[in-house]
Amino acid sequence: MAVSTVAVHGALADIAGREHCLRDPAALASYAIDGMIPAAVVRPASADEVSRLVALCAAERLTVTPRGAGTSMALGNPPRRLEVVIELSRMRAVREYVPEDMVATVEAGATLDQLAAHFAPHRQALTLDPPGGGARSVGGVLATHASGPLRFRYGTGRDLLLGARFVQADGALTWGGAKVVKSVTGYDVPKLLVGSLGTLGVLVETTLRLHPTPPASRSWRLGFPSREAAGAFLAGLLDSPLQPDRAALLDGAALRRAGLAVDPIGLLLSISSAAEAVEHQGRALARLGASHGGRSDQAPDRAWTGLGGAVDGPILLRAIGESRRLLEWVGEAHAAAARAGVEVMLLAQPGHGVLQISIGDGFDAARVVGDLVLPLRRALEAEGGSLILERGPIEIKAKCDVWGHIDPEVFTIMSRIKTEFDPGGVLNPGRFVGGL
Amino acid sequence: MALTPQILGALQDIVGPAGLVVSAEGRLTYECDMHTFYKGAPDAVVLPESAAQVAAIVRLCRREHVPIVPRGSGTGLIGGAMAPEGGVMVSMTRMNRIVELDFPNRCATVEPGLINLWLSQATRDRGYFFAPDPSSQMVSSIGGNASTNAGGPHCLKYGITVNHVLGLEVVTGAGELVRLGGKAHERPGYDLTGVMVGAEGTLGLVTGVIVRLTHLPEGVKTILASFPTIEDASEAVSAIIRAGIIPAALEMLDEVVIRAIEEGVGAGYPKGAGAVLLIELDGPTAEIEAQSGPIEAICRDHLALEIRVAQSEAERALLWKGRKEAAGVFGRLTPNWLLQDAVVPRSKLPQIMKEVLAIGARHRLVIANVFHAGDGNLHPLICYDDRVPGELERAKQANEELLGACLRLGGSVTGEHGVGLDKRASLPMQFADADLDFMARLRRVFDPDSIMNPGKLLPSHPACGEGFRPAARPLPAGTWI
Repeated sequence: MAVSTVAVHGALADIAGREHCLRDPAALASYAIDGMIPAAVVRPASADEVSRLVALCAAERLTVTPRGAGTSMALGNPPRRLEVVIELSRMRAVREYVPEDMVATVEAGATLDQLAAHFAPHRQALTLDPPGGGARSVGGVLATHASGPLRFRYGTGRDLLLGARFVQADGALTWGGAKVVKSVTGYDVPKLLVGSLGTLGVLVETTLRLHPTPPASRSWRLGFPSREAAGAFLAGLLDSPLQPDRAALLDGAALRRAGLAVDPIGLLLSISSAAEAVEHQGRALARLGASHGGRSDQAPDRAWTGLGGAVDGPILLRAIGESRRLLEWVGEAHAAAARAGVEVMLLAQPGHGVLQISIGDGFDAARVVGDLVLPLRRALEAEGGSLILERGPIEIKAKCDVWGHIDPEVFTIMSRIKTEFDPGGVLNPGRFVGGL
Repeated sequence: MALTPQILGALQDIVGPAGLVVSAEGRLTYECDMHTFYKGAPDAVVLPESAAQVAAIVRLCRREHVPIVPRGSGTGLIGGAMAPEGGVMVSMTRMNRIVELDFPNRCATVEPGLINLWLSQATRDRGYFFAPDPSSQMVSSIGGNASTNAGGPHCLKYGITVNHVLGLEVVTGAGELVRLGGKAHERPGYDLTGVMVGAEGTLGLVTGVIVRLTHLPEGVKTILASFPTIEDASEAVSAIIRAGIIPAALEMLDEVVIRAIEEGVGAGYPKGAGAVLLIELDGPTAEIEAQSGPIEAICRDHLALEIRVAQSEAERALLWKGRKEAAGVFGRLTPNWLLQDAVVPRSKLPQIMKEVLAIGARHRLVIANVFHAGDGNLHPLICYDDRVPGELERAKQANEELLGACLRLGGSVTGEHGVGLDKRASLPMQFADADLDFMARLRRVFDPDSIMNPGKLLPSHPACGEGFRPAARPLPAGTWI
């Protein structure tokens, strides 16, 4: 492989500095994706360095895999090739932040925890909270379209990313979007990058919409004796003028793992507003819960950080369907887990129809795929939904595609986009939908 | 270009005789959108009734290398839904049904020609509404809103159209009829829905839209605050945002506009004020009450002359009527105008308003202002009279200087109207060559033969500069900004 030559390693080191270019086999092994070990890991310090690194790799016909904090490298099909990993951990600066604008421009390697600390003194926040994700980089969260309970009020990275600087497959440093909260100048290029898993460009700098932190916030855990009761409560909540800001739904196993009181189904909800409004809505929430046979208790704010534990199994599935069907998919997931002989924990985004299924150790790969993944995927896809393998060992990935079926005509367009912007397959080849 | 009888015949075979307009008078109706400077009638207008018909039209035009221009209600302000190169205009006015209201999933499936407001009217009794509210919402179509990624006063809190589009059915410039996104809120692969929204019909034609429905808030409070000067009002806007309050809407009207509205529709705005803020809070009643106190205090701190809270739904509707029909009364102000909708960072609002006044004074022109202050989305209306020699030139110069000032402050060329024919020459002020090249290549992916709305959205097309013909009276009754 060309990259093993001293010349290329030297050229990478010339750009990023020798100490920021890993080639020690033991160090490289920790960057393996699906068992494949990269030939080099480079940690650039600037967008310009990223641009030069990618241009070098493109010229040398080496592949580039972008990496933020490294927490979601298990997402995607096994790489077709894995040569140079560009790790953005040195690019963490907040480049522009005027609190009155409620917009910040930050380097893609900045972590959510770091940004939260940066904005908190101004009572503002970047409202992205993927479970267990405080250490994640903002670039990684956007590239994987990760989201959490705050989605209930604020949406996802798709709604928050206003502008993006990225490096194309040939090294061209490119900007899309704007640095203001409203802009329709040209195509909405940032939308194309969110969730694209670094296959169209390496995100180096992002401009994000922030929100004010409400003066008061309180959380409640509502427990329900059955899926039906929880489903009726949820339908009532969604059909009411109540405005929670965070919402999560958990099954009994997930409640236990998150350190919360256990019921067959529980919801964790928070309301954040003026203090009087929090009290007032909290009472309405408890009444609505009680009317559906639920019991509600106040929950500490740390309950939210505990949700990460509910999705930390070696296999993690992401089922997405119509939101009104969420509780039925919870039932389907439990039934499929029983068939496959595995323990699962379920964590869902109510109101968005997203259900994460975490599978614990001691699984049989063939049964997980044959009795759980594929039947559940077929059922979801029949209703316009999908099932993604967010994380899983190679023996699972060997038996099923990570992303599932995509309409062939739509895939043709996606494929044309990839071919237009990365004809040589430099960026993260093989891992995205259909092997793009 | 003229269309051959064969092409016209084929179009008629697709849409039927009632769906084809070829007469000169008939086509004239479609020669411009609300930006009446730009004129270009299509060679034929087709009014399809289904996505399959739209797909057949695109395949025919692609085969024959005929330009296609999509059109909703024609209320755009950018020279978008007009045909500078002729060709076939596809008007969506006959595809205007609500296909499905799905309250449990909080979404609706609609045809592109559906009028924006009709959807909110159809869902209000069930407690829902469609949040994007461009001032044209009584007449503009949801397909047009999606194609221009329309904004509106309440986008301050609720987000712009793209935040409310879950899925699209489109016919790409390559003739593919595809469904993007859908009722499920995530889908593997690239976010083609997000790319298609705001593409102004240059990537394809929208034939169906799945939109979010939003639950009506528990309460609404509309406050009118008047100020001695526009600077005072601008400082008040910045202070409200700085206090961490995001109202549902935060609109500014200056003295010129207030006067015109009072003479026109009579919304009860105070006449002597230098500026008026229309502030709307919505949400849980207790939250509204907790926020309105600080807002009123901020207004008083910034020398508010009067703070009035709408006491009834009728009074509230009247205050909004003044704002939403503001542009329609501009005929009282000026025979001609240039309008732009550049954006500045919110903190720069007081600074840019000073610049606006200075630019107007320098060019001896009245610049009227009515805009989405909370978003920093300006709508300076540069008034001129094209019968006065040199005024148009001065107006254009003022327009350029204003745009330059907004961009120097870190802003954007257009916040909600879009680019169309009008602003494409300004894109290089905001984007570098590599950025524009990326967009041009993206366009080619969807429209390999460059037949979709050619000459719009991106700069350096051969048609650049053509079509700019000042009309004697470029003020159609009922224009919305």
